[in-house]
Amino acid sequence: MYGFEALTFNVHSGYLEAIVRGYRSGLLTAADYNNLCQCENLDDIKLHLSATEYGPYLQNEPSPLHTTTIVEKCTLKLVDEYKHMLCQATEPLSTFLEYITYGHMIDNVVLIVTGTLHERDVHELLEKCHPLGMFDSIATLAVAQNMRELYRLVLVDTPLAPYFSECITSEDLDDMNIEIMRNTLYKAYLEDFYRFCQKLGGATAEIMSDLLAFEADRRAINITINSIGTELTRDDRRKLYSNFGLLCPYGHEELAVCEDIDQVRAVVEKYPPYQSIFAKMSYGETQMLDKAFYEEEVKRLCLAFEQQFHYAVFFAYVRLREQEIRNVMWISECVAQNQKSRVHDSVVFIF
Amino acid sequence: MEEQEVNQSCENGRRNGEAEQEEDSALQFLDSIDSYLCLMDSLSSTLREGWLELASARHSMGISRITNVLLDLKPHSAATTIKVSSHVFESSSTEDPMVRQPHITLSKWSSFKDGKGCFGEAVAGEEEFKNKSQNPQLRHRNPSQFPEFQEAHTSSEGASLSADDEAKKERTKSLSVFGTLVSPKLRAAQHSFESVLEILVEIANKRSLLVWDALGMEDDGVPWWVLGW
Repeated sequence: MYGFEALTFNVHSGYLEAIVRGYRSGLLTAADYNNLCQCENLDDIKLHLSATEYGPYLQNEPSPLHTTTIVEKCTLKLVDEYKHMLCQATEPLSTFLEYITYGHMIDNVVLIVTGTLHERDVHELLEKCHPLGMFDSIATLAVAQNMRELYRLVLVDTPLAPYFSECITSEDLDDMNIEIMRNTLYKAYLEDFYRFCQKLGGATAEIMSDLLAFEADRRAINITINSIGTELTRDDRRKLYSNFGLLCPYGHEELAVCEDIDQVRAVVEKYPPYQSIFAKMSYGETQMLDKAFYEEEVKRLCLAFEQQFHYAVFFAYVRLREQEIRNVMWISECVAQNQKSRVHDSVVFIF
Repeated sequence: MEEQEVNQSCENGRRNGEAEQEEDSALQFLDSIDSYLCLMDSLSSTLREGWLELASARHSMGISRITNVLLDLKPHSAATTIKVSSHVFESSSTEDPMVRQPHITLSKWSSFKDGKGCFGEAVAGEEEFKNKSQNPQLRHRNPSQFPEFQEAHTSSEGASLSADDEAKKERTKSLSVFGTLVSPKLRAAQHSFESVLEILVEIANKRSLLVWDALGMEDDGVPWWVLGW
Protein backbone atom coordinates (compact mmCIF):
# COMPACT_ATOMS: atom_id res chain seq x y z
CA MET A 1 0.00 0.00 0.00
CA TYR A 2 1.60 3.25 -1.09
CA GLY A 3 1.59 6.59 0.70
CA PHE A 4 -0.34 9.54 -0.58
CA GLU A 5 2.12 10.39 -3.36
CA ALA A 6 -0.74 11.51 -5.63
CA LEU A 7 -1.39 14.40 -3.24
CA THR A 8 2.15 15.76 -2.95
CA PHE A 9 4.31 14.43 -5.77
CA ASN A 10 3.40 17.06 -8.35
CA VAL A 11 4.29 19.90 -5.98
CA HIS A 12 8.01 19.37 -6.47
CA SER A 13 8.39 16.79 -9.23
CA GLY A 14 5.29 17.07 -11.41
CA TYR A 15 6.97 19.30 -13.96
CA LEU A 16 9.97 17.01 -14.34
CA GLU A 17 7.82 13.89 -14.58
CA ALA A 18 5.96 15.55 -17.45
CA ILE A 19 9.28 16.51 -19.04
CA VAL A 20 10.64 12.97 -18.83
CA ARG A 21 7.45 11.51 -20.26
CA GLY A 22 7.79 13.95 -23.13
CA TYR A 23 11.37 12.85 -23.65
CA ARG A 24 10.18 9.24 -23.67
CA SER A 25 7.84 9.92 -26.58
CA GLY A 26 10.91 10.97 -28.60
CA LEU A 27 12.52 7.54 -28.43
CA LEU A 28 13.04 5.84 -31.79
CA THR A 29 10.25 3.54 -32.93
CA ALA A 30 10.35 0.27 -34.85
CA ALA A 31 9.71 2.20 -38.08
CA ASP A 32 12.78 4.37 -37.39
CA TYR A 33 14.91 1.30 -36.79
CA ASN A 34 13.64 -0.33 -40.00
CA ASN A 35 14.66 2.77 -41.93
CA LEU A 36 18.06 2.81 -40.29
CA CYS A 37 18.61 -0.89 -41.00
CA GLN A 38 18.12 -0.24 -44.71
CA CYS A 39 20.80 2.44 -44.96
CA GLU A 40 23.70 1.83 -47.31
CA ASN A 41 26.28 3.99 -45.54
CA LEU A 42 26.76 6.22 -42.51
CA ASP A 43 25.69 9.35 -44.40
CA ASP A 44 22.31 7.67 -44.99
CA ILE A 45 22.08 7.00 -41.26
CA LYS A 46 22.81 10.65 -40.57
CA LEU A 47 20.08 11.59 -43.05
CA HIS A 48 17.51 9.38 -41.33
CA LEU A 49 18.53 10.54 -37.86
CA SER A 50 18.21 14.18 -38.93
CA ALA A 51 14.43 13.62 -39.02
CA THR A 52 14.50 12.51 -35.37
CA GLU A 53 15.42 14.38 -32.18
CA TYR A 54 19.10 13.65 -32.92
CA GLY A 55 18.92 15.91 -35.97
CA PRO A 56 20.35 19.09 -34.41
CA TYR A 57 23.27 17.17 -32.95
CA LEU A 58 24.34 15.51 -36.18
CA GLN A 59 23.52 18.08 -38.83
CA ASN A 60 26.87 19.90 -38.64
CA GLU A 61 29.04 16.81 -38.69
CA PRO A 62 31.15 16.61 -41.84
CA SER A 63 31.54 13.52 -43.99
CA PRO A 64 33.02 10.97 -43.78
CA LEU A 65 31.26 10.03 -40.58
CA HIS A 66 32.49 7.45 -38.11
CA THR A 67 30.38 5.31 -35.81
CA THR A 68 32.12 6.82 -32.79
CA THR A 69 31.03 10.30 -33.91
CA ILE A 70 27.41 9.21 -34.20
CA VAL A 71 27.52 7.64 -30.74
CA GLU A 72 29.17 10.74 -29.23
CA LYS A 73 26.52 13.08 -30.61
CA CYS A 74 23.65 10.85 -29.54
CA THR A 75 25.20 10.70 -26.06
CA LEU A 76 25.44 14.51 -25.99
CA LYS A 77 21.67 14.70 -26.42
CA LEU A 78 21.14 12.41 -23.44
CA VAL A 79 23.57 14.49 -21.38
CA ASP A 80 21.76 17.74 -22.25
CA GLU A 81 18.40 16.26 -21.26
CA TYR A 82 19.81 14.86 -18.03
CA LYS A 83 21.42 18.18 -17.07
CA HIS A 84 18.15 20.01 -17.76
CA MET A 85 16.33 17.66 -15.41
CA LEU A 86 19.08 17.79 -12.75
CA CYS A 87 19.20 21.57 -12.59
CA GLN A 88 15.40 21.71 -12.15
CA ALA A 89 15.23 18.93 -9.53
CA THR A 90 14.89 19.37 -5.79
CA GLU A 91 15.72 16.89 -3.07
CA PRO A 92 15.37 13.96 -2.98
CA LEU A 93 14.94 13.75 -6.75
CA SER A 94 18.28 15.51 -7.35
CA THR A 95 20.11 12.89 -5.29
CA PHE A 96 18.22 10.16 -7.13
CA LEU A 97 19.30 11.62 -10.48
CA GLU A 98 22.92 11.81 -9.30
CA TYR A 99 22.82 8.16 -8.29
CA ILE A 100 22.00 7.28 -11.89
CA THR A 101 25.40 8.61 -13.02
CA TYR A 102 27.63 6.92 -10.44
CA GLY A 103 27.99 3.83 -12.64
CA HIS A 104 29.50 5.99 -15.38
CA MET A 105 31.73 7.66 -12.81
CA ILE A 106 33.12 4.27 -11.83
CA ASP A 107 33.74 3.40 -15.49
CA ASN A 108 35.58 6.69 -16.01
CA VAL A 109 37.77 6.15 -12.94
CA VAL A 110 38.74 2.69 -14.16
CA LEU A 111 39.38 4.01 -17.69
CA ILE A 112 41.76 6.70 -16.43
CA VAL A 113 43.58 4.35 -14.05
CA THR A 114 43.93 1.58 -16.66
CA GLY A 115 45.04 3.98 -19.37
CA THR A 116 47.64 5.53 -17.05
CA LEU A 117 48.94 2.05 -16.21
CA HIS A 118 49.43 1.56 -19.97
CA GLU A 119 51.32 4.87 -20.22
CA ARG A 120 48.63 6.67 -22.20
CA ASP A 121 48.23 10.44 -22.21
CA VAL A 122 45.65 11.74 -19.73
CA HIS A 123 44.10 14.11 -22.25
CA GLU A 124 43.23 11.37 -24.73
CA LEU A 125 41.80 9.32 -21.87
CA LEU A 126 39.63 12.22 -20.76
CA GLU A 127 38.20 12.52 -24.28
CA LYS A 128 36.97 8.93 -24.06
CA CYS A 129 35.29 9.33 -20.67
CA HIS A 130 31.50 9.23 -20.51
CA PRO A 131 30.23 12.82 -20.02
CA LEU A 132 27.65 11.72 -17.43
CA GLY A 133 30.43 10.39 -15.21
CA MET A 134 32.75 13.40 -15.17
CA PHE A 135 33.79 15.18 -11.98
CA ASP A 136 36.21 18.01 -11.26
CA SER A 137 39.33 16.22 -10.07
CA ILE A 138 39.14 13.29 -12.49
CA ALA A 139 42.41 14.19 -14.26
CA THR A 140 44.30 13.87 -10.96
CA LEU A 141 43.64 10.13 -10.99
CA ALA A 142 46.68 9.68 -13.20
CA VAL A 143 49.13 10.37 -10.36
CA ALA A 144 47.93 7.57 -8.05
CA GLN A 145 50.11 4.45 -7.76
CA ASN A 146 47.84 2.31 -5.59
CA MET A 147 44.26 2.31 -4.31
CA ARG A 148 45.13 4.04 -1.07
CA GLU A 149 46.57 7.01 -2.97
CA LEU A 150 43.63 6.88 -5.38
CA TYR A 151 41.27 7.33 -2.47
CA ARG A 152 43.36 9.82 -0.48
CA LEU A 153 44.31 12.14 -3.37
CA VAL A 154 41.17 12.16 -5.48
CA LEU A 155 38.18 10.05 -4.60
CA VAL A 156 37.73 11.10 -0.97
CA ASP A 157 35.90 14.24 -2.18
CA THR A 158 33.70 12.46 -4.70
CA PRO A 159 30.42 10.57 -4.29
CA LEU A 160 32.38 7.33 -4.78
CA ALA A 161 34.28 7.75 -1.50
CA PRO A 162 31.92 5.60 0.60
CA TYR A 163 32.31 2.74 -1.87
CA PHE A 164 36.05 2.52 -1.42
CA SER A 165 36.04 1.17 2.11
CA GLU A 166 36.06 -2.43 0.84
CA CYS A 167 38.93 -2.05 -1.60
CA ILE A 168 41.47 0.23 0.02
CA THR A 169 44.80 -1.58 -0.09
CA SER A 170 48.38 -0.57 -0.62
CA GLU A 171 48.83 -3.05 -3.42
CA ASP A 172 50.01 -1.59 -6.68
CA LEU A 173 47.37 -1.20 -9.36
CA ASP A 174 47.56 -3.97 -11.94
CA ASP A 175 45.03 -5.43 -14.38
CA MET A 176 43.53 -7.93 -11.94
CA ASN A 177 43.37 -5.49 -9.03
CA ILE A 178 41.75 -2.87 -11.25
CA GLU A 179 39.11 -5.36 -12.39
CA ILE A 180 38.35 -6.34 -8.80
CA MET A 181 38.22 -2.66 -7.85
CA ARG A 182 35.75 -1.95 -10.69
CA ASN A 183 33.39 -4.71 -9.71
CA THR A 184 33.69 -4.05 -5.96
CA LEU A 185 32.88 -0.36 -6.48
CA TYR A 186 29.91 -1.20 -8.68
CA LYS A 187 28.63 -3.72 -6.14
CA ALA A 188 28.84 -1.11 -3.36
CA TYR A 189 27.14 1.48 -5.59
CA LEU A 190 24.24 -0.82 -6.46
CA GLU A 191 23.68 -1.74 -2.82
CA ASP A 192 23.80 1.91 -1.78
CA PHE A 193 21.34 2.90 -4.52
CA TYR A 194 19.06 0.06 -3.47
CA ARG A 195 19.08 1.24 0.16
CA PHE A 196 18.37 4.82 -0.93
CA CYS A 197 15.35 3.74 -2.99
CA GLN A 198 14.06 1.63 -0.09
CA LYS A 199 14.26 4.74 2.13
CA LEU A 200 12.22 6.72 -0.41
CA GLY A 201 9.46 4.13 -0.17
CA GLY A 202 6.22 3.95 -2.16
CA ALA A 203 6.12 3.18 -5.84
CA THR A 204 9.73 4.35 -6.26
CA ALA A 205 10.97 1.68 -3.83
CA GLU A 206 8.87 -1.05 -5.37
CA ILE A 207 9.75 -0.40 -9.01
CA MET A 208 13.41 0.46 -8.42
CA SER A 209 13.86 -2.65 -6.25
CA ASP A 210 12.78 -4.79 -9.18
CA LEU A 211 15.00 -2.93 -11.68
CA LEU A 212 18.07 -2.89 -9.44
CA ALA A 213 17.61 -6.56 -8.47
CA PHE A 214 17.56 -7.45 -12.16
CA GLU A 215 20.72 -5.41 -12.67
CA ALA A 216 22.44 -7.17 -9.76
CA ASP A 217 21.44 -10.60 -11.06
CA ARG A 218 22.59 -9.80 -14.59
CA ARG A 219 25.92 -8.59 -13.25
CA ALA A 220 26.36 -11.78 -11.24
CA ILE A 221 25.71 -13.92 -14.33
CA ASN A 222 28.03 -11.84 -16.52
CA ILE A 223 30.82 -11.89 -13.93
CA THR A 224 30.49 -15.68 -13.73
CA ILE A 225 30.58 -16.19 -17.50
CA ASN A 226 33.44 -13.72 -18.06
CA SER A 227 35.54 -15.23 -15.27
CA ILE A 228 35.35 -18.79 -16.58
CA GLY A 229 38.89 -19.88 -17.48
CA THR A 230 40.55 -16.87 -15.80
CA GLU A 231 42.69 -16.60 -12.67
CA LEU A 232 39.82 -15.21 -10.58
CA THR A 233 39.29 -17.60 -7.67
CA ARG A 234 35.87 -18.83 -6.56
CA ASP A 235 36.07 -16.81 -3.35
CA ASP A 236 36.96 -13.62 -5.22
CA ARG A 237 34.18 -14.27 -7.68
CA ARG A 238 31.66 -14.76 -4.84
CA LYS A 239 32.77 -11.48 -3.24
CA LEU A 240 31.88 -9.55 -6.41
CA TYR A 241 28.19 -10.56 -6.33
CA SER A 242 25.77 -8.03 -4.81
CA ASN A 243 23.97 -8.82 -1.56
CA PHE A 244 20.50 -8.51 -3.02
CA GLY A 245 18.59 -9.79 -6.01
CA LEU A 246 16.64 -12.89 -6.88
CA LEU A 247 19.78 -15.01 -7.11
CA CYS A 248 21.00 -13.96 -3.64
CA PRO A 249 22.07 -16.01 -1.70
CA TYR A 250 21.53 -19.54 -3.00
CA GLY A 251 21.98 -18.75 -6.67
CA HIS A 252 25.22 -16.94 -5.90
CA GLU A 253 26.58 -19.96 -4.01
CA GLU A 254 25.97 -22.15 -7.05
CA LEU A 255 27.23 -19.58 -9.57
CA ALA A 256 30.49 -19.19 -7.66
CA VAL A 257 31.48 -22.78 -8.48
CA CYS A 258 30.39 -22.87 -12.13
CA GLU A 259 33.12 -23.84 -14.61
CA ASP A 260 31.26 -23.54 -17.91
CA ILE A 261 28.25 -21.87 -19.50
CA ASP A 262 26.03 -24.94 -19.25
CA GLN A 263 26.48 -25.05 -15.47
CA VAL A 264 25.54 -21.35 -15.32
CA ARG A 265 22.46 -22.15 -17.36
CA ALA A 266 21.50 -25.01 -15.03
CA VAL A 267 21.74 -22.68 -12.01
CA VAL A 268 19.84 -19.74 -13.48
CA GLU A 269 17.07 -21.77 -15.12
CA LYS A 270 15.77 -22.67 -11.65
CA TYR A 271 14.51 -19.08 -11.38
CA PRO A 272 11.37 -18.59 -13.53
CA PRO A 273 12.02 -14.96 -14.59
CA TYR A 274 15.35 -16.01 -16.08
CA GLN A 275 14.22 -19.32 -17.49
CA SER A 276 12.70 -17.56 -20.50
CA ILE A 277 16.01 -15.78 -21.17
CA PHE A 278 18.03 -18.97 -21.45
CA ALA A 279 15.23 -20.72 -23.31
CA LYS A 280 16.05 -18.51 -26.32
CA MET A 281 19.59 -19.92 -26.54
CA SER A 282 20.96 -23.31 -27.43
CA TYR A 283 23.31 -25.18 -25.10
CA GLY A 284 26.87 -23.90 -24.96
CA GLU A 285 25.98 -20.65 -26.72
CA THR A 286 26.47 -17.18 -25.26
CA GLN A 287 26.18 -14.97 -28.33
CA MET A 288 22.51 -14.11 -27.86
CA LEU A 289 22.63 -13.86 -24.06
CA ASP A 290 23.29 -10.12 -24.04
CA LYS A 291 20.41 -9.42 -26.39
CA ALA A 292 18.08 -11.61 -24.31
CA PHE A 293 19.02 -9.69 -21.15
CA TYR A 294 18.61 -6.34 -22.87
CA GLU A 295 15.15 -7.35 -24.11
CA GLU A 296 14.09 -8.34 -20.61
CA GLU A 297 15.49 -5.08 -19.21
CA VAL A 298 13.67 -2.98 -21.81
CA LYS A 299 10.41 -4.77 -20.99
CA ARG A 300 10.79 -3.93 -17.29
CA LEU A 301 11.87 -0.33 -18.00
CA CYS A 302 8.83 0.29 -20.21
CA LEU A 303 6.55 -1.06 -17.48
CA ALA A 304 7.91 1.64 -15.13
CA PHE A 305 6.05 4.28 -17.18
CA GLU A 306 2.72 2.58 -16.49
CA GLN A 307 2.58 4.12 -13.01
CA GLN A 308 2.71 7.77 -12.00
CA PHE A 309 4.19 9.76 -9.12
CA HIS A 310 7.47 7.97 -8.69
CA TYR A 311 11.14 8.54 -9.58
CA ALA A 312 11.74 5.27 -11.40
CA VAL A 313 10.58 6.89 -14.67
CA PHE A 314 13.77 9.00 -14.65
CA PHE A 315 15.97 5.94 -14.20
CA ALA A 316 13.97 4.06 -16.84
CA TYR A 317 14.24 6.91 -19.34
CA VAL A 318 18.02 7.21 -19.01
CA ARG A 319 18.43 3.45 -19.39
CA LEU A 320 16.13 3.35 -22.43
CA ARG A 321 18.11 6.15 -24.08
CA GLU A 322 21.33 4.28 -23.43
CA GLN A 323 19.79 1.19 -25.04
CA GLU A 324 18.74 3.31 -28.01
CA ILE A 325 22.30 4.62 -28.37
CA ARG A 326 23.58 1.03 -28.27
CA ASN A 327 21.10 0.15 -31.02
CA VAL A 328 22.22 3.05 -33.20
CA MET A 329 25.86 2.12 -32.60
CA TRP A 330 25.25 -1.50 -33.62
CA ILE A 331 23.30 -0.54 -36.74
CA SER A 332 26.06 1.93 -37.70
CA GLU A 333 28.75 -0.73 -37.25
CA CYS A 334 26.83 -3.25 -39.38
CA VAL A 335 26.26 -0.66 -42.11
CA ALA A 336 29.89 0.52 -42.01
CA GLN A 337 31.17 -3.07 -42.23
CA ASN A 338 28.64 -4.01 -44.93
CA GLN A 339 27.11 -6.71 -42.75
CA LYS A 340 23.48 -5.65 -42.73
CA SER A 341 22.34 -9.27 -42.51
CA ARG A 342 23.64 -9.32 -38.93
CA VAL A 343 21.91 -6.12 -37.86
CA HIS A 344 19.11 -7.89 -35.99
CA ASP A 345 21.60 -9.88 -33.87
CA SER A 346 21.77 -7.11 -31.29
CA VAL A 347 19.07 -4.49 -31.97
CA VAL A 348 16.44 -4.39 -29.20
CA PHE A 349 13.24 -2.64 -30.14
CA ILE A 350 11.84 -0.42 -27.42
CA PHE A 351 8.36 0.13 -28.83
CA MET B 1 64.46 -50.31 -91.30
CA GLU B 2 63.82 -51.99 -88.05
CA GLU B 3 66.34 -49.68 -86.43
CA GLN B 4 64.47 -46.67 -87.75
CA GLU B 5 61.19 -48.03 -86.38
CA VAL B 6 62.80 -48.62 -82.97
CA ASN B 7 64.25 -45.10 -82.94
CA GLN B 8 60.89 -43.67 -83.93
CA SER B 9 59.02 -45.55 -81.22
CA CYS B 10 61.58 -44.36 -78.62
CA GLU B 11 61.14 -40.81 -79.82
CA ASN B 12 57.34 -41.14 -79.59
CA GLY B 13 57.64 -42.57 -76.06
CA ARG B 14 59.85 -39.69 -75.00
CA ARG B 15 57.43 -37.15 -76.44
CA ASN B 16 54.49 -38.83 -74.71
CA GLY B 17 56.40 -38.76 -71.40
CA GLU B 18 57.16 -35.05 -71.80
CA ALA B 19 53.53 -34.32 -72.65
CA GLU B 20 52.38 -36.16 -69.55
CA GLN B 21 54.90 -34.25 -67.45
CA GLU B 22 53.64 -30.95 -68.88
CA GLU B 23 50.06 -31.93 -68.14
CA ASP B 24 50.97 -32.86 -64.58
CA SER B 25 52.74 -29.53 -64.09
CA ALA B 26 49.78 -27.63 -65.51
CA LEU B 27 47.32 -29.52 -63.31
CA GLN B 28 49.50 -28.93 -60.25
CA PHE B 29 49.66 -25.24 -61.08
CA LEU B 30 45.89 -24.97 -61.52
CA ASP B 31 45.42 -26.86 -58.27
CA SER B 32 47.70 -24.39 -56.49
CA ILE B 33 45.78 -21.44 -57.93
CA ASP B 34 42.50 -22.97 -56.75
CA SER B 35 43.78 -23.42 -53.22
CA TYR B 36 45.20 -19.87 -53.30
CA LEU B 37 41.80 -18.45 -54.27
CA CYS B 38 40.12 -20.51 -51.54
CA LEU B 39 42.58 -19.09 -49.01
CA MET B 40 41.81 -15.53 -50.16
CA ASP B 41 38.07 -16.16 -49.71
CA SER B 42 38.70 -17.64 -46.29
CA LEU B 43 40.82 -14.61 -45.34
CA SER B 44 38.10 -12.19 -46.35
CA SER B 45 35.32 -14.00 -44.49
CA THR B 46 37.39 -14.58 -41.34
CA LEU B 47 38.47 -10.94 -41.23
CA ARG B 48 34.87 -9.74 -41.62
CA GLU B 49 33.78 -12.08 -38.86
CA GLY B 50 36.56 -10.82 -36.57
CA TRP B 51 35.65 -7.16 -37.06
CA LEU B 52 31.98 -7.85 -36.41
CA GLU B 53 32.79 -9.83 -33.27
CA LEU B 54 34.90 -6.91 -32.05
CA ALA B 55 31.98 -4.55 -32.66
CA SER B 56 29.72 -7.00 -30.83
CA ALA B 57 32.12 -7.06 -27.88
CA ARG B 58 32.09 -3.22 -27.77
CA HIS B 59 28.30 -3.31 -27.85
CA SER B 60 28.24 -5.82 -25.00
CA MET B 61 30.97 -4.46 -22.72
CA GLY B 62 30.59 -0.76 -23.46
CA ILE B 63 32.60 1.65 -25.60
CA SER B 64 34.70 2.81 -22.65
CA ARG B 65 35.97 -0.71 -22.02
CA ILE B 66 37.01 -1.51 -25.57
CA THR B 67 38.76 1.51 -26.98
CA ASN B 68 42.11 2.17 -28.58
CA VAL B 69 43.22 4.44 -25.72
CA LEU B 70 43.57 1.36 -23.51
CA LEU B 71 46.21 -0.25 -25.72
CA ASP B 72 49.49 -0.65 -23.89
CA LEU B 73 52.27 1.70 -24.99
CA LYS B 74 54.89 0.18 -22.67
CA PRO B 75 57.69 -1.67 -24.49
CA HIS B 76 57.02 -5.41 -24.62
CA SER B 77 58.13 -8.32 -26.79
CA ALA B 78 56.01 -9.48 -29.69
CA ALA B 79 53.55 -12.22 -28.85
CA THR B 80 53.65 -13.60 -32.38
CA THR B 81 56.60 -13.69 -34.77
CA ILE B 82 57.35 -14.95 -38.27
CA LYS B 83 60.51 -16.59 -39.51
CA VAL B 84 61.50 -16.34 -43.18
CA SER B 85 63.74 -19.11 -44.42
CA SER B 86 65.08 -19.95 -47.87
CA HIS B 87 65.14 -23.42 -49.31
CA VAL B 88 67.52 -24.06 -52.16
CA PHE B 89 66.50 -26.34 -55.02
CA GLU B 90 68.31 -27.41 -58.14
CA SER B 91 66.81 -26.11 -61.35
CA SER B 92 67.33 -27.18 -64.90
CA SER B 93 67.53 -23.54 -65.94
CA THR B 94 70.96 -22.54 -67.23
CA GLU B 95 70.53 -18.96 -66.03
CA ASP B 96 70.11 -19.82 -62.36
CA PRO B 97 70.81 -23.47 -61.57
CA MET B 98 70.21 -22.95 -57.80
CA VAL B 99 66.72 -21.57 -57.08
CA ARG B 100 65.96 -20.08 -53.63
CA GLN B 101 62.37 -20.39 -52.52
CA PRO B 102 61.32 -18.32 -49.48
CA HIS B 103 59.17 -19.97 -46.83
CA ILE B 104 57.43 -18.18 -43.97
CA THR B 105 56.76 -19.86 -40.65
CA LEU B 106 54.43 -18.38 -38.04
CA SER B 107 55.18 -18.73 -34.36
CA LYS B 108 52.09 -17.82 -32.34
CA TRP B 109 52.18 -16.74 -28.74
CA SER B 110 55.95 -17.21 -28.49
CA SER B 111 57.11 -17.29 -24.86
CA PHE B 112 60.20 -15.17 -24.44
CA LYS B 113 61.05 -16.17 -20.89
CA ASP B 114 64.78 -16.78 -20.46
CA GLY B 115 65.33 -15.65 -24.03
CA LYS B 116 63.97 -18.87 -25.51
CA GLY B 117 61.24 -18.93 -28.08
CA CYS B 118 58.59 -21.60 -28.34
CA PHE B 119 58.44 -22.70 -31.95
CA GLY B 120 56.31 -25.82 -31.65
CA GLU B 121 53.93 -24.83 -34.36
CA ALA B 122 56.73 -23.55 -36.59
CA VAL B 123 58.57 -26.88 -36.58
CA ALA B 124 55.47 -28.69 -37.77
CA GLY B 125 55.07 -26.21 -40.61
CA GLU B 126 58.66 -26.68 -41.79
CA GLU B 127 58.46 -30.48 -41.85
CA GLU B 128 55.27 -30.35 -43.87
CA PHE B 129 56.92 -28.00 -46.33
CA LYS B 130 59.99 -30.20 -46.76
CA ASN B 131 57.86 -33.27 -47.44
CA LYS B 132 55.81 -31.42 -49.97
CA SER B 133 58.72 -29.84 -51.82
CA GLN B 134 60.71 -33.10 -52.10
CA ASN B 135 57.69 -35.07 -53.31
CA PRO B 136 55.46 -32.69 -55.21
CA GLN B 137 51.96 -34.13 -55.53
CA LEU B 138 48.63 -33.05 -56.78
CA ARG B 139 46.59 -31.50 -53.96
CA HIS B 140 44.18 -34.04 -52.50
CA ARG B 141 40.81 -32.53 -51.76
CA ASN B 142 39.77 -35.07 -49.14
CA PRO B 143 42.65 -35.78 -46.77
CA SER B 144 40.43 -38.03 -44.57
CA GLN B 145 40.90 -40.76 -47.21
CA PHE B 146 44.49 -41.07 -46.02
CA PRO B 147 44.61 -42.61 -42.49
CA GLU B 148 48.36 -41.97 -42.14
CA PHE B 149 47.62 -38.22 -41.84
CA GLN B 150 45.22 -38.87 -38.96
CA GLU B 151 47.72 -41.12 -37.11
CA ALA B 152 50.46 -38.48 -37.32
CA HIS B 153 48.05 -35.89 -35.93
CA THR B 154 46.99 -37.93 -32.87
CA SER B 155 50.59 -38.83 -31.95
CA SER B 156 51.51 -35.12 -31.67
CA GLU B 157 48.46 -34.25 -29.50
CA GLY B 158 50.07 -35.16 -26.20
CA ALA B 159 53.14 -32.99 -26.86
CA SER B 160 50.99 -30.00 -27.81
CA LEU B 161 48.97 -29.90 -24.52
CA SER B 162 51.58 -27.89 -22.59
CA ALA B 163 52.04 -25.57 -25.58
CA ASP B 164 48.25 -25.03 -25.60
CA ASP B 165 48.28 -24.05 -21.91
CA GLU B 166 51.07 -21.57 -22.59
CA ALA B 167 49.20 -20.18 -25.59
CA LYS B 168 46.03 -19.85 -23.51
CA LYS B 169 47.91 -17.85 -20.88
CA GLU B 170 49.42 -15.57 -23.52
CA ARG B 171 46.00 -15.02 -25.10
CA THR B 172 44.52 -14.03 -21.74
CA LYS B 173 47.47 -11.74 -21.07
CA SER B 174 47.07 -9.93 -24.38
CA LEU B 175 43.36 -9.36 -23.73
CA SER B 176 44.02 -8.04 -20.23
CA VAL B 177 44.52 -4.50 -21.62
CA PHE B 178 40.72 -4.39 -21.82
CA GLY B 179 40.26 -5.84 -18.34
CA THR B 180 40.55 -9.27 -16.78
CA LEU B 181 36.86 -10.19 -17.05
CA VAL B 182 36.13 -9.78 -20.74
CA SER B 183 33.16 -10.97 -22.74
CA PRO B 184 33.37 -14.29 -24.68
CA LYS B 185 32.70 -12.18 -27.78
CA LEU B 186 36.06 -10.45 -27.37
CA ARG B 187 37.78 -13.81 -27.05
CA ALA B 188 35.99 -14.95 -30.21
CA ALA B 189 37.25 -11.84 -32.02
CA GLN B 190 40.79 -12.60 -30.85
CA HIS B 191 40.46 -16.15 -32.15
CA SER B 192 39.27 -14.87 -35.54
CA PHE B 193 42.19 -12.45 -35.91
CA GLU B 194 44.55 -15.23 -34.85
CA SER B 195 43.15 -17.40 -37.65
CA VAL B 196 43.62 -14.50 -40.05
CA LEU B 197 47.35 -14.44 -39.23
CA GLU B 198 47.63 -18.15 -40.00
CA ILE B 199 45.78 -17.72 -43.29
CA LEU B 200 48.02 -14.79 -44.29
CA VAL B 201 51.14 -16.90 -43.77
CA GLU B 202 49.55 -19.74 -45.74
CA ILE B 203 48.75 -17.31 -48.56
CA ALA B 204 52.33 -16.05 -48.62
CA ASN B 205 53.69 -19.59 -48.79
CA LYS B 206 51.12 -20.53 -51.42
CA ARG B 207 52.20 -17.63 -53.61
CA SER B 208 55.78 -18.79 -53.22
CA LEU B 209 54.75 -22.27 -54.37
CA LEU B 210 52.81 -20.79 -57.29
CA VAL B 211 55.95 -19.07 -58.50
CA TRP B 212 57.81 -22.36 -58.09
CA ASP B 213 55.18 -24.24 -60.10
CA ALA B 214 55.21 -21.52 -62.76
CA LEU B 215 58.99 -21.85 -63.07
CA GLY B 216 58.54 -25.60 -63.38
CA MET B 217 56.09 -25.11 -66.21
CA GLU B 218 58.49 -22.75 -67.98
CA ASP B 219 61.18 -25.37 -67.75
CA ASP B 220 58.75 -27.76 -69.40
CA GLY B 221 58.46 -25.39 -72.31
CA VAL B 222 55.18 -23.67 -71.46
CA PRO B 223 55.59 -19.93 -72.38
CA TRP B 224 55.29 -17.48 -69.49
CA TRP B 225 52.46 -15.56 -71.14
CA VAL B 226 50.28 -18.68 -71.06
CA LEU B 227 50.61 -18.63 -67.30
CA GLY B 228 49.32 -15.07 -67.21
CA TRP B 229 52.32 -13.73 -65.26
